[in-house]
Amino acid sequence: MFKKIMIANRGEIAVRIIKACQEMGISTVAVFSDADRLSLHVQIADEAIGIGPPPAMESYLDIDRIIQAAQKTGVDAIHPGYGFLAENAAFARRCEKEKIVFIGPNSDALELVGDKVRSRQTLEKADIPIIPGMKGIVKDTSAIKAEAQKIGYPVMIKASAGGGGKGMRVVYTEKELTPALEAGMREAKSAFGDESVYLEKYIEEPRHVEFQALADNHGNVVHLFERECSIQRRHQKIVEETPSQALDSELRARMGETARKVMQVSEYNNAGTVEFLLDKDKNFYFLEVNARLQVEHPVTELTTGVDLVHHQIKIAAGEKLPFKQEDLEQKGHAIECRIYAEDPRNNFLPSSGKILYFKEPRGPGVRHDCGIYSGWDVPIYYDPILAKLIVWAENRETACQRMIKALDDYVILGVQTSIRFLRDLIGHPQFHKGETTTHFIQDHFADWTGEKDSEEKQRLALLAAAFDSLHGTTSGKGSQTTKKEIYSPWLSLGKWRLGGK
Amino acid sequence: MEFEFLLNDVLQKISLKKKEDVYVFYDGEKTYEADIQRISPHQISVLIDDVSYRIYTAKDKDNRHFLIDGQQFVVKEPTEQVEGFRMGEEKTSEGTLLVKAPMPGKVIKICVSEKDAVRKNQTLAIVEAMKMENEIKASVDGTIKEIHVTAGDLVDSEKPLIELEP
Repeated sequence: MFKKIMIANRGEIAVRIIKACQEMGISTVAVFSDADRLSLHVQIADEAIGIGPPPAMESYLDIDRIIQAAQKTGVDAIHPGYGFLAENAAFARRCEKEKIVFIGPNSDALELVGDKVRSRQTLEKADIPIIPGMKGIVKDTSAIKAEAQKIGYPVMIKASAGGGGKGMRVVYTEKELTPALEAGMREAKSAFGDESVYLEKYIEEPRHVEFQALADNHGNVVHLFERECSIQRRHQKIVEETPSQALDSELRARMGETARKVMQVSEYNNAGTVEFLLDKDKNFYFLEVNARLQVEHPVTELTTGVDLVHHQIKIAAGEKLPFKQEDLEQKGHAIECRIYAEDPRNNFLPSSGKILYFKEPRGPGVRHDCGIYSGWDVPIYYDPILAKLIVWAENRETACQRMIKALDDYVILGVQTSIRFLRDLIGHPQFHKGETTTHFIQDHFADWTGEKDSEEKQRLALLAAAFDSLHGTTSGKGSQTTKKEIYSPWLSLGKWRLGGK
Repeated sequence: MEFEFLLNDVLQKISLKKKEDVYVFYDGEKTYEADIQRISPHQISVLIDDVSYRIYTAKDKDNRHFLIDGQQFVVKEPTEQVEGFRMGEEKTSEGTLLVKAPMPGKVIKICVSEKDAVRKNQTLAIVEAMKMENEIKASVDGTIKEIHVTAGDLVDSEKPLIELEP
């Protein structure tokens, strides 16, 4: 087993992995950019090493700097988390060359599944069902236009190198294609350092159902059932659950077997996820392999009792899977909500600033994977995910109620968050019925403004402000001083003001 | 004691005084009695007519933040003039609008040129923050008077991007 692991990531996932390593008696090394010196993962790791300036291209995405840091601290292995270098085959290959174990798939498999065009070709040959789309990457716009014509609108633009919604655009008419391509390529370039995009047929009213898989280095592959991740905004998942309401045991077994076959054909090892789109007639299409630990992995852990990070590390160390497919079962129901620093009342604009106060919900069946603390400044440079709230209960109904209660008990003051939006989402009658397609937010929450502030609560807010002023140590008194500033939550940015000193 | 606060950009008045063990407050319509106890620097317990409320509090430079029954409130000190502004915009003395970035980020693209006529909701610029692109749109019909930034600039939320003449 490894003695020391570097976690080449930040935020909640770095915290999650560091804790798993520490549980296994493995020493940990955190990496951080200048913007993350005070982040939680740096504080809880056994060692921490700076890797450069705030922009990800110059720190978390800089392979040379990460490798140098790994060599300097003498680690046996690197866990890449999700995002950043997690699905970068060049990085995996470099690790192999430097004799550092990359905790993830082998670089050949990573390259194959990461190349969404080539992987489709390979899997199509193995009779895996595929969505109609481009057979290759074309860089000039007129050729892409011709492809779009052939596939038929609506088409989806996707980043060849990435996932997580970055670079994705749906295009309904030819007129929209050029601006969407430009924006998609720019986003792809800045998120993954590669501007290649491709097109595929956009399936309307679909569900996003994915299967978690684990494959060891000895040819054993199991799936750990599905996650339903249909609740998405801007193609970014925000609520995930398992089991899916759309699957029965026959379909589940069929999709699970297909997922295993995808892993076998790709000669994949370690943890990975096979994504499918499920249409309303229960046809499923292979979408892509997410060659990493996923954001939503906890719902699988809670329903199967399998710690995916522990197994990733054990597999990377050469151990055999200790269970077979027939040993695995789903128990109860789990839901995850992603807590983002964004303002749902203002077009979900990212919200940065200082977290003035933070209190996490607790209780039976409540898990909170978190990368924040009271007093921490949310940097502007990275994905605005703050934490993940996950609940488990015996059945879906209880899980929904537990999630609503936990969201109610969740306190974050100082930055805007999606908590209130999520609460209304889980409480929505269509969610309750399990009627979740990828258009759920667009259909039911496009104009969401939240509950109007009741007079009673407004009165309480004023009362609390007056009480605070009366006993406050500062100027207080609801002072008459007039400031020329206009109000905006973006103004209270403290030390993150760019261009200032 | 009399207090004035801005809540949801509306000026509100409240008077509060301590009377023996309880606080008496008046919101302009009705007088209430409340038992208010501070539990911790970030938590206040309020009892009004035997109903219990738990309020989480925090304060930054200009604002007081409260969470009441899952809902966040930002209460600020009164300011001189708040009407007529949209977030991320400021009116100049000549009547033009200074369009600002709603958050700190990087200017990816300026979609207009000086002297261009623009329509309401037309995209003026694209600013990237936290890896997402955000379109900055015109709030009114008008003409572009001046462009203050170029693609690639880092901006905060106070620097004007574009000056728009309605």
